[in-house]
Amino acid sequence: MEYKVEAHRIMSISLGKIYNSRVQRGGIKLHKNLLVSLVLRSARQVYLSDYYSGVCLNTQHVEAKEWELMDSNQEKPLTPAPEESLSPSTDCNQNPEVPVVPEDPEVQHTSQAVEDSTDLHSVSSKHQAEEESSSEDSTTDVSLTSSPVTCESQCEAKGAEVSSSDCEADANPATVTEGNSQQPPKAHSCSNRKRTAEKTASNDSPVKRTKVTSSNSSEEEAEEMDTGNVSNLITIFGSSFSGLLTKESSEPEAETEDSDSGSGQICCDQMLKNLNPWSTAIVAF
Amino acid sequence: MADIISTVEFNYSGELLATGDKGGRVVIFQREQESKNRPLSRGEYNVYSTFQSHEPEFDYLKSLEIEEKINKIRWLPQQNAAHFLLSTNDKTIKLWKISERDKRAEGYNLKDEDGRLRDPFRISTLRVPVLMPMDLMVEASPRRIFANAHTYHINSISVNSDHETYLSADDLRINLWHLEITDRSFNIVDIKPANMEELTEVITAAECHPHQCNVFVYSSSKGTIRLCDMRAAALCDRHSKFFEEPEDPSSRSFFSEIISSISDVKFSHSGRYMMTRDYLSVKVWDLNMENRPVETYQVHEYLRSKLCSLYENDCIFDKFECCWNGSDSAIMTGSYNNFFRMFDRNTRRDITLEASRENSKPRATLKPRKVCTGGKRKKDEISVDSLDFNKKILHTAWHPKENVIAVAATNNLYIFQDKMN
Repeated sequence: MEYKVEAHRIMSISLGKIYNSRVQRGGIKLHKNLLVSLVLRSARQVYLSDYYSGVCLNTQHVEAKEWELMDSNQEKPLTPAPEESLSPSTDCNQNPEVPVVPEDPEVQHTSQAVEDSTDLHSVSSKHQAEEESSSEDSTTDVSLTSSPVTCESQCEAKGAEVSSSDCEADANPATVTEGNSQQPPKAHSCSNRKRTAEKTASNDSPVKRTKVTSSNSSEEEAEEMDTGNVSNLITIFGSSFSGLLTKESSEPEAETEDSDSGSGQICCDQMLKNLNPWSTAIVAF
Repeated sequence: MADIISTVEFNYSGELLATGDKGGRVVIFQREQESKNRPLSRGEYNVYSTFQSHEPEFDYLKSLEIEEKINKIRWLPQQNAAHFLLSTNDKTIKLWKISERDKRAEGYNLKDEDGRLRDPFRISTLRVPVLMPMDLMVEASPRRIFANAHTYHINSISVNSDHETYLSADDLRINLWHLEITDRSFNIVDIKPANMEELTEVITAAECHPHQCNVFVYSSSKGTIRLCDMRAAALCDRHSKFFEEPEDPSSRSFFSEIISSISDVKFSHSGRYMMTRDYLSVKVWDLNMENRPVETYQVHEYLRSKLCSLYENDCIFDKFECCWNGSDSAIMTGSYNNFFRMFDRNTRRDITLEASRENSKPRATLKPRKVCTGGKRKKDEISVDSLDFNKKILHTAWHPKENVIAVAATNNLYIFQDKMN
């Protein structure tokens, strides 16, 4: 358990560093941010590995499998979660077919889909997910991938170990819902990624692709967060460093002056639930 | 107000020592000639020239400020009375000529000694100007400016053994320049992926081989070194040799990748070995053996358990340099708390010394230091927790022929000499 807390802390610190690198003199340092993103990835893998019993991971292999699963999941019928307490209008509107994990362990397909959506870059393999979807707790443990919205209290709550009993008791279903709502944007980005993989990418194509995924999150967050600059931060992270550069030129003062460590922390917690922050972190270069 | 020193480099003879700082200034020290009057005073280094090499710039296209900090200085071999060096910041490399002027022409016809023009109608005689001695003046003038060739931050420059070309390396590319030509450079390494999302490593340092002008090496953030031969292809994306030590799986942590990133690579003077510095160790490689280094020296292994804190305070990203002595028998590198370490490759002995005002008066002998790694702390030892991580020695240099070393401790430069003759 301690390592989960540690991993969470390291992820927060890493995101803080990426955030601070925007305002450093001399421009964004590619080397340092690459290293930070690697740490972020390692921490995230450890954080998620708890659910999947430390299966050794091959992320590319996993991703390929999950993309296939993603595509097949798009057509599945969905059952709404019984205890959904989040503003479903914001989360789920993005994609009509939001799979939701119910308490009922029967619906293994959707839970598996949720798992997979959360683990684009993480430990679980599809195989593992199928095996464990029937077990009590692992399927509902998707709080990590929940889309940005809810409040920080749920962010913190997700840091705690989630078991099936917890899931029924507290806000976890809500976070589960978030995770589900996150899936469609992820699927979108995944399929985009597949399509664009063959293209000789300029800096433009990655920018556009990631902006698609972030637009969902930014809209959701704009409704939830009071400070406009924090939502700007989320948008920035969603669109990775390309967003950093464009944002920097347009409103550097506003963000550096208004954003304090508090909003940075909020941003970090939000980002922890976002699926692929760092993989596109270097895109702007 | 002295600024933080960012690079230190002796010239080929060791007579001159150049330092660059964060403010874009270069300060050159010259060794005093040993005089018979003061036989005990082996040549001391005094300030010879100071000039502003780089100024802060602003890239309007990207809305980014370009730091004036001098990342590297490299001397050219001396060919005449003047001295030449290359200095670089993140984006621009400059060739500076440092020359002495100790004579001045006097007796001009058209202007008087103040420089004012003389009335031509008042000139009645013609005279030949004569050279008169004057106080020594050291002038630095920029002779070449090599700009606009690097998209990313320049981390290395290295003068080739042909004395005509040099290479410059940024995070993703290495360019080859001719010292006479500033409007174009030749790209010889490009590791930028077509899709930046696939970026997994960057170039961290590069150096030309000291004798073979077709060979150079570059190190990466993944702890690997590639040796390239420019005769093999125009674009040296495919290496001739690939040096990597397999990772020890038992020491894996969140920060394994960061601490394996190589911060400096230096060929030995002989050209047979090269040395790499990563966060915790220095490794000596035989160029003929690619699968592992021939020697590994632990610089501050006691920091391995503190990596998380060092990550938080950014110290884990510190880029330490390393250097060989003139005979390649010893190597030196810096650490924290103003400590620096020297390793004797033959005897396998190592020593830790401190560069600080309190602990070293002029002519005093440096006392070896020791870090207590656990258990009972002996007298004079320092515990790991009381190390000052703000006092870091990143840049050191060793005289090419003698046992004289230069150590940069934040904004102070220390020069130590071997007492024994």
